[in-house]
Amino acid sequence: MMPGLSWPTTPEAATQQWMKFANKMGALPRAAQIAKEVRVGTTPTRTVYSEDKLNLLRYESDTPRQFETPLVVAFALVNRPYILDLRPGKSVVQHFIGAGHDVYNIDWGVPADSDRFLTIKDYVLGYMDNVVDHMRERTGCDQVNILGYCMGGSMSAMYASLRPEKVKNLILLAAPVDWSCKESLLSLWTDPKYFDIDKVLEVHGNAPAEWLQSSFMMLKPVQNMIEKYFTFYENMENEKFLEDFFAMETWLNDNIPVAGETFRQFVKDCFQKNLLIRGELELGNERVEMRNIECPILNLTAQHDHLVPCGQSLPFNDAVGSKDRKSINFPAGHIGMAVGSKAHRDLWPQVCDWLAERTDRVTG
Amino acid sequence: MPDSGGLPGFDPFMKFWTDMSAKMGAAGMAAPTPAPDMMAQMRKTFFGSMSEYAEEYMRSEQFLNGMKQAMDNSLTLKKQVNEFLQSGLQNAQMPSRADTDHIVLLLRGMEDRLLTKMDKLTARIDELEADRNGSNSSASSTKAKATAKRKR
Repeated sequence: MMPGLSWPTTPEAATQQWMKFANKMGALPRAAQIAKEVRVGTTPTRTVYSEDKLNLLRYESDTPRQFETPLVVAFALVNRPYILDLRPGKSVVQHFIGAGHDVYNIDWGVPADSDRFLTIKDYVLGYMDNVVDHMRERTGCDQVNILGYCMGGSMSAMYASLRPEKVKNLILLAAPVDWSCKESLLSLWTDPKYFDIDKVLEVHGNAPAEWLQSSFMMLKPVQNMIEKYFTFYENMENEKFLEDFFAMETWLNDNIPVAGETFRQFVKDCFQKNLLIRGELELGNERVEMRNIECPILNLTAQHDHLVPCGQSLPFNDAVGSKDRKSINFPAGHIGMAVGSKAHRDLWPQVCDWLAERTDRVTG
Repeated sequence: MPDSGGLPGFDPFMKFWTDMSAKMGAAGMAAPTPAPDMMAQMRKTFFGSMSEYAEEYMRSEQFLNGMKQAMDNSLTLKKQVNEFLQSGLQNAQMPSRADTDHIVLLLRGMEDRLLTKMDKLTARIDELEADRNGSNSSASSTKAKATAKRKR
């Protein structure tokens, strides 16, 4: 017997089950319409800086600005950044805007075949540094606040190590920095014994989006390929659930390729050789030493993170030179940190308070 | 544990099935008409067991070797297709990916050399300004750097 489908033992039970099934089938057209109309990334944005495929988006808001220093969000290169502004009530960006911060988001764009030679250095010391310089010019502030999520967090840590004078506060969200912790399946799958990154990139050029997506899906095959659809079936008549479900599905299926050289470097230097935490990673001819980071740091980790276990993030606090450092280990998953109701209720207000205490207020 | 009959890679599934059956039984499978909350509990247990064993299997040497084998095969095939396409394009005197890669690499090399030169010039200007003003030239350095937007 399949779980969730009980065999009817009486005619009444059979009729009841049939009615339930018919109701769900009746809800299908509405579900299809919601799937078609679902909107993601709901806060209005304006592009304030572009370079190659990168766009720096500024979130527009009527809320009066309370803080001088702008906040820039750096997301991973593997997905779209609107996960942090998925839907009303599930938007991290809205928390910061509501608190009076000037918020920007880096949309790295979709690398084409010709971008396969872009390296981590290009992203960190090229694009990211240019974005920060633009924000400094635009706002007149010497420094910016950075929030880095996942791989974007690792890149933010690299940036803050190399250009510490430009970073006022650094917030890392489920960001790996120490890959000696092999708890995650990804660490095992990228072991050089089983995974030849050079061969993959020789054939594909960039790391293909669909290949990345199926790898992420395989990390939790039962949840992603079976359980999710059971939950969907059970909640087919709940419009609120469907809106959230399809918004999430839109994001999950909106993967983008990663520039080949960047991916190679990330796999080899980070996953396989673990150079970042050891202070041995070099971008161009600059060595990334995290002890150079002296600004206040807030390290947010997810207790049930299957992608970036806490063990890969927590060593960051001991590696930096900052005196003001804090970590919050929140009971959520990797994506739940950004979209979970509990995180929006209990975590993000705390993060906003932390940032507010360390950011200069607008004067006059 | 039941015998898998020597089928390679089958042991984890046999282990999963026997353990899951035991857990399901304990969760109320034996009851003739399970209540809805019991059904939910059973389902949770079922998926929990499945996840646990899927994870265990995906960490096993068997799976990892199988994954490597599958990836190697698919990459070899894709490589052959790429080579076939490339030779076709070459014969038709049309540009292939190898050609565009070559051009991109040339451009990147040129860009790198130009940026290195610009960095040197910026440093030189800073020095000259510092000499002229007799003061710290960090402000001008920032300005010069901001002008040279692309630092890659």
